[in-house]
Amino acid sequence: MDENNFALQMQDITVEFPGVLANDHVNIDCKKGEVLGLLGENGAGKTTLMNVLYGLYPPTEGRILLDGKEVHIGSPLEAIQQGIGMVHQHFKLVDTLSVIENVILGIPTKKQRLDLEPAKKRLLQLCEEYELFVDPDEIVWRLPVGKQQWVEILKALYRDCKVLVLDEPTAVLTPAESDQLCRAIRRITADGRSVIFISHKLREVIQITDRITVIRDGKYIGTLATKDATQIKLAQMMVGRPVTIERKSRPVIEDLKPVLVMKNVNAKDDRGIQALKNLNLTVHAGEIVGVAGVDGNGQRELAECIAGLRKPTSGTITINDKRVTGVIADPTFVGFIPEDRQKTGLVMDFSIADNLIMKDYQNAPYAQNNVLQYTAIKKHARDMIRKYHVKTPSEDVRVRNLSGGNQQKVVIAREIDPEPVLDIASHPTRGLDLGAVANVHDTLLKERNRGAAVLFISAELQEVMALSDRIIVLFGGEIMGELNGEDADQEVIGQLMLGHHPEN
Amino acid sequence: MELLKKNKRFEFAIFENLSLTTGRTLFGIFLGLLASGLLIALSGVNPFVAYGALFRGAFGSMQAVSNVLVRASPLLLGGIGVAIGIKAGVWNTGIEGYMYLGAIGAAVIGVLDLGLHPGLHILLCIVCAIVLSGCWGAIPGFLKAYKGVNEVTATIMLNYIAIYLTNWVVSNFPLVAEVGAFYPMSKQFQATARLPILIPGSSLHPGPFIGIILCLILHFVLNFTPFGYRTKMLGSNPFAARYAGVDSRKQILMIITIGAVIGGISGAIEVMGLKRRVFMEFVTGVGYESVAVALLAGGNPLGVILSALFFAALKAGGATMSIETGVASSMNSIIIGMCMLFVIGFGVIDNRKLKKIVSTDKDPENDIAAEKEGEK
Repeated sequence: MDENNFALQMQDITVEFPGVLANDHVNIDCKKGEVLGLLGENGAGKTTLMNVLYGLYPPTEGRILLDGKEVHIGSPLEAIQQGIGMVHQHFKLVDTLSVIENVILGIPTKKQRLDLEPAKKRLLQLCEEYELFVDPDEIVWRLPVGKQQWVEILKALYRDCKVLVLDEPTAVLTPAESDQLCRAIRRITADGRSVIFISHKLREVIQITDRITVIRDGKYIGTLATKDATQIKLAQMMVGRPVTIERKSRPVIEDLKPVLVMKNVNAKDDRGIQALKNLNLTVHAGEIVGVAGVDGNGQRELAECIAGLRKPTSGTITINDKRVTGVIADPTFVGFIPEDRQKTGLVMDFSIADNLIMKDYQNAPYAQNNVLQYTAIKKHARDMIRKYHVKTPSEDVRVRNLSGGNQQKVVIAREIDPEPVLDIASHPTRGLDLGAVANVHDTLLKERNRGAAVLFISAELQEVMALSDRIIVLFGGEIMGELNGEDADQEVIGQLMLGHHPEN
Repeated sequence: MELLKKNKRFEFAIFENLSLTTGRTLFGIFLGLLASGLLIALSGVNPFVAYGALFRGAFGSMQAVSNVLVRASPLLLGGIGVAIGIKAGVWNTGIEGYMYLGAIGAAVIGVLDLGLHPGLHILLCIVCAIVLSGCWGAIPGFLKAYKGVNEVTATIMLNYIAIYLTNWVVSNFPLVAEVGAFYPMSKQFQATARLPILIPGSSLHPGPFIGIILCLILHFVLNFTPFGYRTKMLGSNPFAARYAGVDSRKQILMIITIGAVIGGISGAIEVMGLKRRVFMEFVTGVGYESVAVALLAGGNPLGVILSALFFAALKAGGATMSIETGVASSMNSIIIGMCMLFVIGFGVIDNRKLKKIVSTDKDPENDIAAEKEGEK
């Protein structure tokens, strides 16, 4: 590899938003045929940097060089013309058009009649070449999310990009698809193209990239060759302090009083398919029960049934001997961190203060004589913002304008702070960065030690093992097995998650 | 420079600055007037002269102003009825029908000589109007909330039934109908059941002020009560509302019914304050105009006051304009239509820009997409 042959250099890029320095003199460079990892926590400024590259906003300072020549990129169109391809986290596809129509969309043509055949041919060639197979005639919304990503990548390749930016590409992929993506990336760089791979997942970055640049709080921290990098080292660079996903030590709680008792619960999912089958589960006060399993094996229905959002078709659920019959909106009884915080857990257009009283808005001190007491509501919000370290200029900011991690802090503050007898945490760390994840873990452990019963649902095996006193494994709506958290074996859980009983 | 401009927007988006919406609305109205001015010029009349006449017709005298207020009365009440629906995420397009039902309710009591004190008689009429229109509104409310029937379809269909029901009442219902009249109408309201005229010699009744007061009350209710909180939560995120324990069905039923009750009051006030009788088809589309009023106000109760007055001024002044300058009287509707078009057009463009800022500028690192996809 030619050492001085940079496909892309971004030097001293500074981007300023009101009150926020999103990028502060960030430098990256990417050689031809190289995979550069861009690593940083959520909110570190990775996407901002890439949006500068893609001409979505002009940097306050700094310059961009392509092939050693300084360029000005004023719009995505110019970026595409300069050979930059971008796959956003949030796909920019037209759902109702076919794959091929999406691929050629925006490419100018002089012809009056649209002839898709040559384009299709070329696309199929690309599919073949990079082993990213999609049917050109399929309508995009019918494709699974992973395939949609192939379309995005093929779109960029079709435009013959020199530098391909992949923003958190694996967030939506299954493990098999991730592997496929890895192979495709290898082929792409083999042609002398460069790939910038944005992620906050250390393992992947180490697996895929050649070099890694780390940014933190908008600042450039450093670049190192992947072969010299370790997960621990990178994590330290990212968060600025050592992190562990070690099992957390905990005091032993003697008197285990059952709080949540589920007996023979059956439930259907939204499509009417049996999602929980004869489920029996007890969660005691002062214990974290971790629910492991591949996503979509009844976890959502389990959480919703307990919270009263879904009616079981049969069976009984009691919490502290009280039968669950409808939605439980008493924050001192059940705290529920829902898996989709933006769709269920928050009203995005409400202020932080309003979101924090979502389950309490008709109770004193927030409402008196049927009038909302905004002095009390705002004071409560300021207290919560301080206590849970929500990063925001004020409690009046709409939740929509917070980062994912800070949104989650709002949900957690609302659900956990009233000290409920039962906490249901459904994928509470999904999409959060390492620092925020550690925070959530600490909060849940504190809840357990306080004497709350905690049901912790997660698809990340490591955190289930680190946090749980007991682990149950869900498969196809059934409990495949129950393990002691202290000495659970990852292999065994893995087998159970796939529906195999290890002893068989 | 460009960045500066973007930053401004950024702040606007964060603090939900009202001035942005208001400014946008005013600019849309300005463009609407400009475009209509061109049309007026095309029809051979100097637009400045025409608009001068319009302005004089609306604000030129005490008489004119009271005329504007009288015309604003049903729009204020109807507009606020629709607006609370918008806040809850439902399109309550049944104001027309509720007005008829309210008018019938008022007439049933109002034409009878009960020998009551005027205050009491008026109150009874209003109560009857509220009961009838409330029951009427509960029908689409129930259908929407519990059966999932589209509220727009249900209310508009019911509007027709209400119109024909009124026709029957004023021509054939012996208790109410004036027998042998030249046009189907009810008997005249008893003097004790008429609303007082506030300025002698004009037709100014208390209706517009009741409307303004109701707008203020609902502004308060929406922003400072648990009921309003629930309503807005339901309107902006029904999933979250359910999660927070809101009985969304009950809330939708209530909101549609409240809109109906206000519409009913509006109809009752029209017949008790202005018309003195219930005529066949006396509402003539005011109920639908209320939807436009609420739209122009963006569902904001305080905005409804301004937008209802604006509509009324255009309608009142438009009549003068047409008489004085010979511009076709349909020009009123064209002006209103133009203004609506520009205001809504700006709304769409602006929303799109805001959305773009939200998804790119605002939370640059927020992996909304990743989460959304991941959770599917």
